[in-house]
Amino acid sequence: MSGHSADLSLALWQVRYEQRAFWRNRGRAFFSFLFPLMFLVIFASLFAGQHISSRGGISYNDFFVPGILAYGVITTTFVNMAISTSILRDEGVLKRMQGTPLPRWAYMCGRVGSTVLVVAAMSAATLALGALAYGVHVRASTLPGLILALVFGTACFTSLGIGIVRYIPNAEAAPPIVNISILPLTFISGIWFVTDNMPAWLRHVAAVFPIRPLADALQYAFDPRTSGAGIKAGDLAVLAAWTVAGVLMMLRFLRDPQAGRS
Amino acid sequence: MNASRTSTGPAIEVAGLSKSYGELRAVREVSFEVGHGEVFCLLGPNGAGKTTTVEILEGYRERSGGEVRVLGMDPARGQRELHERVGIVLQSCGVQSELTVAELLEMYGRYYSRSRPAEELLELVELDAKRDVRASQLSGGQRRRLDLALGLVGDPDLVFLDEPTTGFDPAARRHAWETIRSLCSLGKTIFLTTHFMDEAQYLADRIAVMRAGEIIASGKPEEIGGRDLRPTEIRFALPAGMSASDLPDTGAQDVVVDGDLVLLRSSDGLRTTHAVTEWALAGGFELERFSVAQPSLEDIYLELTAEEAQ
Repeated sequence: MSGHSADLSLALWQVRYEQRAFWRNRGRAFFSFLFPLMFLVIFASLFAGQHISSRGGISYNDFFVPGILAYGVITTTFVNMAISTSILRDEGVLKRMQGTPLPRWAYMCGRVGSTVLVVAAMSAATLALGALAYGVHVRASTLPGLILALVFGTACFTSLGIGIVRYIPNAEAAPPIVNISILPLTFISGIWFVTDNMPAWLRHVAAVFPIRPLADALQYAFDPRTSGAGIKAGDLAVLAAWTVAGVLMMLRFLRDPQAGRS
Repeated sequence: MNASRTSTGPAIEVAGLSKSYGELRAVREVSFEVGHGEVFCLLGPNGAGKTTTVEILEGYRERSGGEVRVLGMDPARGQRELHERVGIVLQSCGVQSELTVAELLEMYGRYYSRSRPAEELLELVELDAKRDVRASQLSGGQRRRLDLALGLVGDPDLVFLDEPTTGFDPAARRHAWETIRSLCSLGKTIFLTTHFMDEAQYLADRIAVMRAGEIIASGKPEEIGGRDLRPTEIRFALPAGMSASDLPDTGAQDVVVDGDLVLLRSSDGLRTTHAVTEWALAGGFELERFSVAQPSLEDIYLELTAEEAQ
């Protein structure tokens, strides 16, 4: 009891240290934080003033901003977690941590907590840029849908990002493995462009993986035609299922963080 | 609650320890004990099973067989109390390189229920001047000193030191040795692995040498491998104009002349030394580079580990 609350406060301290380390690594902070914003500016400029006929003529920006937000969630959680954790393992930081009394769960909670803060900052920046520069506003009525999509997406991609490290042999292999598991899917998941007219089988493939559901849930909350709270239960269910898989992978990784390394 | 802290049993007990990786038997029925307050040094060539043995004691690896007790606990169980009382200084352990020296000492200190203040540790490893420098900016030697400080941050009863002075300049090594010695005077137990024989000689109370997964010799640095029973080695340069035939009878069993350098091996070192010096004094000539020594730890180590390797 007192032991657990002491460990909880250690996890909170760990959030602070992880945050400090995160923002000091400029390259990583840039990739996680500014990369999505850069894409937002590029794509919004390319398709300025265009509308999507397959979606009742809504503006492209109403589609891109949530798409880029989904991409931002994935880079700040999955990509960042997988690569940085692989580096920490290669550099022996995880090994050092294993030799201290800090419970592994408390250390991981600290890292996850820090990631959640980065997701929040990245989301706020993306939404602010979308609103100020491109006139994309979040409606109060669909805010629950937006927040739930962000929460489910963060949980899903964070757990997968930690869990996949078990299958990454070393830090050098991390970026290619991570990119290969993400990039092709982004093209069929409606992140960069509308996939409504894609062949059905490809749509089915996209729907099985978690990227499409996250993008779709966010795009639904932003769609001006959406009535109600903007919650897409089907998408959230797919994300939840992947979160279960991610947590199982994560537990496997944490049981022996050095296993799988070569 | 800390009954084991006052226990009188050994700090480390290893009996019949084995570890296999598939067909490879990396550690074979190894047994040894390390007493409280002792500096124990494990030597051996790369691939001898040293790292595997140490990592089993540290709890990083599981053993295939045998019994292991570290501070009365089984390291395979990963008990928190063991982590509280054991400090690990490993070459292969990195740090969060974006954090500063002081931040790292503060962060790691929080994990322990009794921790040493950062200021004290900075002073101990002489990193006060680098306290606000990020770990990524430290030199190799400074990083090793930070490692040592982080290994001591939990005020451990037992410290594992893995090649603690690799990459140090001679002065820094001497200082690190003094630091390690000062830990002994505080009653800490130290388990050292090193490739430097002078380090083992200087620090260790007891040495064990591993080869091919087995301990092939153990004992005090001055006695290991029968070192104390070996003939004394007396060396000097032949005075100008003299040859080996001019040497007196010194009672040495073995006379080796290499250029102008003479090596006498004698089981009665005192008498042989006396005969040599008397001969030189009576003849009125200088004996340059004169020395009397036992075979060095390195000589013994190379002999021990070379056997069978031919």
